[in-house]
Amino acid sequence: MRIELYNHFTSMSRRSVLKGAAAVSALSATGALGLSTQAQSQADLRAQILQIPGVGKGQPTDADWQKVGEMCLGATKTNVKEGEFAGVELTFLGLNNQNLHNLLFRGFLKPWETYTGAKINWIDLAQADYGPRLQQAIATGTVDFDIIEMGAPFEGDVCGKGLASEMPDWVKAQIDMDDYVNYLKAPVGTWNGKTYRISIDGDCHNFNYRTDYFSDADLAAAWKAEGHEGDWGVPKTWQKVQEATKFLKGKKVAGQDAYGYLDPIKGWGGFGFYFLGSRATAYAKHPDDKAWLFDADTMKPRINNPAWVRAIQDVIDALPSEPADQLNADPGTTGFSQFLAGTGSMLSWWGDIGSNAKTNDSSVIGDTCGFDILPGSDDVYNAKTGAWDKLASGPNYAPNMAYIGWGVYVMARVDSDPAKQKAAWSAAAHIGGKDISLWCAAYPSGFQPYRNSHFNLAEWVAAGYDEAFIKSYLDSEANSYNHPNAAIEPRIPGIFQYYSAAEDELSKIWAGGSDAQTGANNIAAAWDKITDGIGRDKQIELYKASLGM
Amino acid sequence: MTANAPTTTNDQLPVGYDVPEIRRKSGRMLVTAATTALAVIVLFQTLYSAGASPYGFENWRPVMYAYILWGICVGAGQVMMHGEAGHRALFLLPALLFTIALVIFPTFFGLYIAFTDWNLSAFDPPKFNGWANLKSLMADAYYWNALLNMIYYVLAVGAQYTIAFGLALLLNADIKARKFFRVAFLLPFMLSPVAVSWMIGKSLMEYRFGPISTLARLFGWDNPAFFTTPWIARASIMVMDAWVSIPFIMILLLAGLQALPKEIIEAAKVDGATAWQSFWQITFPLMLPVSVTAVILRIIFELKLADIVINVTSGGPGGATDTVSSFIFREYRDRANVGYGTMLAEFYLVIIIIFVTLLLKLVSGRMRKMT
Repeated sequence: MRIELYNHFTSMSRRSVLKGAAAVSALSATGALGLSTQAQSQADLRAQILQIPGVGKGQPTDADWQKVGEMCLGATKTNVKEGEFAGVELTFLGLNNQNLHNLLFRGFLKPWETYTGAKINWIDLAQADYGPRLQQAIATGTVDFDIIEMGAPFEGDVCGKGLASEMPDWVKAQIDMDDYVNYLKAPVGTWNGKTYRISIDGDCHNFNYRTDYFSDADLAAAWKAEGHEGDWGVPKTWQKVQEATKFLKGKKVAGQDAYGYLDPIKGWGGFGFYFLGSRATAYAKHPDDKAWLFDADTMKPRINNPAWVRAIQDVIDALPSEPADQLNADPGTTGFSQFLAGTGSMLSWWGDIGSNAKTNDSSVIGDTCGFDILPGSDDVYNAKTGAWDKLASGPNYAPNMAYIGWGVYVMARVDSDPAKQKAAWSAAAHIGGKDISLWCAAYPSGFQPYRNSHFNLAEWVAAGYDEAFIKSYLDSEANSYNHPNAAIEPRIPGIFQYYSAAEDELSKIWAGGSDAQTGANNIAAAWDKITDGIGRDKQIELYKASLGM
Repeated sequence: MTANAPTTTNDQLPVGYDVPEIRRKSGRMLVTAATTALAVIVLFQTLYSAGASPYGFENWRPVMYAYILWGICVGAGQVMMHGEAGHRALFLLPALLFTIALVIFPTFFGLYIAFTDWNLSAFDPPKFNGWANLKSLMADAYYWNALLNMIYYVLAVGAQYTIAFGLALLLNADIKARKFFRVAFLLPFMLSPVAVSWMIGKSLMEYRFGPISTLARLFGWDNPAFFTTPWIARASIMVMDAWVSIPFIMILLLAGLQALPKEIIEAAKVDGATAWQSFWQITFPLMLPVSVTAVILRIIFELKLADIVINVTSGGPGGATDTVSSFIFREYRDRANVGYGTMLAEFYLVIIIIFVTLLLKLVSGRMRKMT
C-alpha cells in the first residue's frame, strides 16, 4: 500500500469511515473498488507515457523525456515531501552513448529536481572511457560521484570493495523489485547478502535478422539451385549462419549488395569481446557445466579450447563475405551505421536494435526486422571430457547474457549524510521506477526490457507497435533471459582487462597476423597473467560465486 | 651591524646592506626546521603507506601541503640569510620548486612505478617486481610492432617537409591573395587532431557515405575501405597526420624564407642562375638551420602520435597503425596496468632521448661540413 493511502486511511474520522463505507457499498455494486481504480490509473499512466511521442512519430527529445519524468513522479511523491532535499547536491556518473543514457536521465530527473529541490551535477562518459574512469576512481580513492550507472560486471570492483551504499527497504518497495525477470534477481545486484543495485536494463545479446532477405523468392530459388540443404529461411544454428553468409556474397537484394552476418571487428574498449562471446556460447556452454569462459576450479582460460577456436575460425571464414570495411567496424558502427541503415541481414546485439528499429530516425529497417534468441549449434564442446557432444534434444542453444544490464548504484560516500543518502536513493529509484522503465524499453534509451511487466504485448500494441514485430522482439528477449542454458557473465574484478587483452590479439587474428589457435593461445597466456596479477585465489572464489557454484 | 654604504658580496653582486648575523642565523634555523619537518612527515607517511607504522595520514595530501610550506620557509630563509640576493632568488625559487614537483619528482616516481606490479583491479597493493616489467616489454610483440610503425611514421616526416617547403616557397612568392592563402593553409594546424579524426577519418573517408569514398568509387576503386588493409590504413593515417602537421613546418620555413637576404638571390639572378640553381645552390643551403629545427621538432611531435590513431583505427587492422603512445594508452586505460604501462612509457622516453641526441649530433656534424 502506498504511504499516502495509508496515511489517509489512518487519519479518517468515524463520520468519514461511515461515508466511506457507504461509498464502498455503492462502488462495489458497480465493481469499481478502490484498488482496481488504482490499478486502472497505473495502466492509464503506462498507456499515456507510451504515447510520448508515439511509435513512428519521430525520435523522442529532451522535452519528451522531461514529460515522462514528470508523469512518473507519483512513486517519488509517496516517499519524499516537496522541497525535502533543498540544498542537497548530487553528482551522477553515467554514459552518453548515442546521446542516450545520461541524456535521458537528465530529462527524467529534471522534474524530480524541481519537486525535491535537489541539484544534480553530471559526469558524462563515452562507452570506451567508462571502465578506465571507474577503475582509476576506485584505485586512487577518488570516487567523486554519488550515483553511478554501472554494469553488473563491475560489482566485484565496487561492491566487493565496500564502495556502494546498501539499498534501503523503502527503495525496494518503491521500485517493485519482485517484478524483475529471474536472472536479474539475487545474486545479481547483491554482495555478501546485501542489495546494492537498482536494475534499469536487462542485457543479453539476441539475434536480429532481416525478414525481407529470408522471404525473398529469388534468394530462395538461388539457395535451392546452389544445392544447399533445407529451405531458405532464418538460420537457427551458427553452421547455417555461416552457410547463409557465404551464400549471400555477391548477390543483390532490392538492388543493393547483399550481406549475411555482420561481425564487429574493431575493438570497443573491451566491449567488442562480447560479440565473439555470442558466436561462441553455443559451442562452449555445455548444459551440464555452468562455466564457459574459465575452468571454475583453476581460472584456467577456456578461450583456447576447441569451442572458442571454432568460433574464432568462423569469424575468419565469414569475413571475406562481409562488407569491405568490416575490419574497421566497431559494435556501434555495426549496429547503427550498418544494420539499422540497411547493410547486412544478421546481427547479434543487445536489445537496442529492436527498440531503435522503428523509433530511430536513421533506421530504415523498421518494417523488415525480425528477432530470435542467438543461434544454436549442432554440437557442443564438453570441456570436461574434451569431446563434441550431440544433444538428444537437438541443437545446443546458450544465449549470451552479455553485461547483465545496466544498473544504478549509490556510493557509500553519501551514507554519512542522511539527507544526501535519501536524495541519492530517491533519484536512483525514480529512474529505476516500474513505469518509467516501460517507456525506456519501448523507445531508444540504451536499455532493454528487464521486468516481467515489460512483456505485456497489449501495452506495446496499444503504443503503436506492430504486433508481429513486437512479439518477435519480446519473445527473443524473454526466451533468452529464461533459457535454462544461458551463459552468465562472470562478475569478477578486472573483467574488462581480460576482454581488452583479447581484443588486441583478436585484431591481429582478423588481420591475418596469426591463425585462430595460435591467437587463442596468446589470449589464454595474457589472461593467465592478468589473473595472477589480480589474485588467482580470490578470482576463483568470485568466479564460482558469480556462477552460483 | 648595519652599513649604509653599498658593498659587494663574495660573488661580486652589489647589495644594499649587510645581513645581520642574528637574521642570518634565524633564516638558517627556519630552513633547517622546515626541512627537518618535511623529512619527518615524508618518512612517517612512507612508513605508514608501507604498513611499517600505525601512524600516518589517510592520503598524501598533507605531504603536499608540507612541501608548499617548506617552499615558503625556504624562500623566507633565503631572504633572511642573503638579503638582496635572497630576494633575487625568490624570482627563481617558485619556478624551481614547481618544476621539481611536477617534472622531476613525477619522472623519478614514474621510474619507481615502472618497477612495480601495480594493477588497478588487484586486491593487493602494488609491490616491487624487479625486472619483470622490463622482461615482459622485451618479449612484447605489440610494443615492438608499434615501435616499427613509429619508424614508418617518422620517415613520413620527410614527405611532409618536402610538401611544406613547396608551399612555403609558393606563399613566399608574389602570388595573388597571398595573405588569404597563408591563413587558409594554416587552418588545419589550428584544428584539434581529434576533430580531424572525426571530420576526415570517420566522415569524409567513411566507407558507405563518405565523399572521398564516393569519389574513389567514381575513379574505379570498387571497395574504397581506407582502414582495412595494413599499408592503406597506415598511409591514410599518415595523410591525416600530414594534413594537420604540414602547416606547422610550412610556417617555420616561411619565416625562414622571409628572413633570407634578398641581395644574394638577386645577385645570383644577375649572374644568370636559373630558378632551380638559385633554389638548390642558395636558398636551400641557407635554409638548412631552419629546416633542421623544423624537422627535429616535427619528429619529436611525430613520436607522440596517438590521437588520430586511437580515434580512427584503435591501432588496427592487426596493429598496422598502432603507435607506441596508442598502445600505452590501451595498456593504461583499458587494462588498468599502471606498472607495466609506466615501464613502457619510461622505456620509450629513454629511446626518444637517445634518438634525438644522436640525430642532433649527426645533423650538426653534417651542417658543419656544409657550411
